Amino acid sequence: MNESKFARQKVMEDYLSALLTDDQPTPGAKIPLDNVSKLLNAALLEIHQDVDSHPGPVVSLPEITEITPPAEKEEGAAHPPSDQPSGVYHCEFQGLIFEVAGLTLALPLTELGGIHQLGTVNPLFGKPDWFKGVMLHREEKINVVDTALWVMPEKCAEKLAASTKYQYLIMLGDSTWGLACESLVNTVILQPEDVKWRKFDGKRTWISGMVKKKMCALVNVKQLIRLLDNGIYSNNSSFK
Amino acid sequence: MSNSRMSNNTTSDADDEVLQWVTYKLGAETYGINVMQVQEVLRHTDIAPVPGAPEYVLGIINLRGNVVTVIDTRARFGLEPTELSDNTRIVIIESEEQVVGILVDSVAEVVYLRSSDIDSAPNVGTEESAKFIHGVSNRDGELLILVDLNKLLSDEEWEELTNV
Repeated sequence: MNESKFARQKVMEDYLSALLTDDQPTPGAKIPLDNVSKLLNAALLEIHQDVDSHPGPVVSLPEITEITPPAEKEEGAAHPPSDQPSGVYHCEFQGLIFEVAGLTLALPLTELGGIHQLGTVNPLFGKPDWFKGVMLHREEKINVVDTALWVMPEKCAEKLAASTKYQYLIMLGDSTWGLACESLVNTVILQPEDVKWRKFDGKRTWISGMVKKKMCALVNVKQLIRLLDNGIYSNNSSFK
Repeated sequence: MSNSRMSNNTTSDADDEVLQWVTYKLGAETYGINVMQVQEVLRHTDIAPVPGAPEYVLGIINLRGNVVTVIDTRARFGLEPTELSDNTRIVIIESEEQVVGILVDSVAEVVYLRSSDIDSAPNVGTEESAKFIHGVSNRDGELLILVDLNKLLSDEEWEELTNV
């Protein structure tokens, strides 16, 4: 009996200890029998053994079931949809700063496919205004995006579009898409905390976040390529 | 840069079919149509307008006793109209078992292209005319836009043309 009491005391100590050191549950995840419930089962086993060895009044014990933590309230959907590239950097990275029609944008250098001088662009009929056409560069055919028209069609009036003097083409990763830009500003080294990372619950999924120092948008290159491949405007929120 | 970029690599693959394309100009751009669909090329001649015809129909011409409908290619592709010139041509084509003429700014040449030389155009744009583009090709540093004549008109429009 004393041995049994000692065993139960140890089990309870373990139980309380487990409560204090319990890991944070993953939001929404159904946790299987964890350490705590295992210890509770062990405690019940001890009780059963104790009862069996000392016949007495039979006590019915509630059955232990799996513990499901309540789902935490989502705060601005901190994670993107599973198939949407997040564009978030967790370590130092370099960004290219460039300008288009008075708008400054940044692009991670690791996702820069190259920079070309903008040459002759061949327009294709039936395409949206933001698709300037195809530029031949050596053996490649580059799809040229009128960045100002794509990024801010609502602000890019005819006058602004006409005054935009594109000089360079910034290639997006290993895709065939190139963003036309007016000027290349510089490159900057950025820490993750230098960027206010975007939450994934709204429009403009092509933006990873805002570069605080420069107050400019950091382009989510993979997502931008996806949008362009699907012929979708910058502010279309229906495509995630 | 990367393998996924479009390129004009020529291969000796047996499936790499060589096709001939008749090239023509509309504005600054060069377009190509499959030579097998081209019957002949005519100098510009008087086109008799047809009352009540669709806006992309310029009218009809008499081709050796046969009435042929002439389509305004610029209007069909959504391009700005332009003045006729000495280089203006009517290309007589056969598509969907019908013979029609298409008005072009000028006819350039016949070129040979391998299938591997042709890349699909980016799938952007919802305008109906976007579907007319079969693909694009780099021809001696010049972009050639290949047109799918079979998609130039819908079944209903072909039907309408027969009644012009």
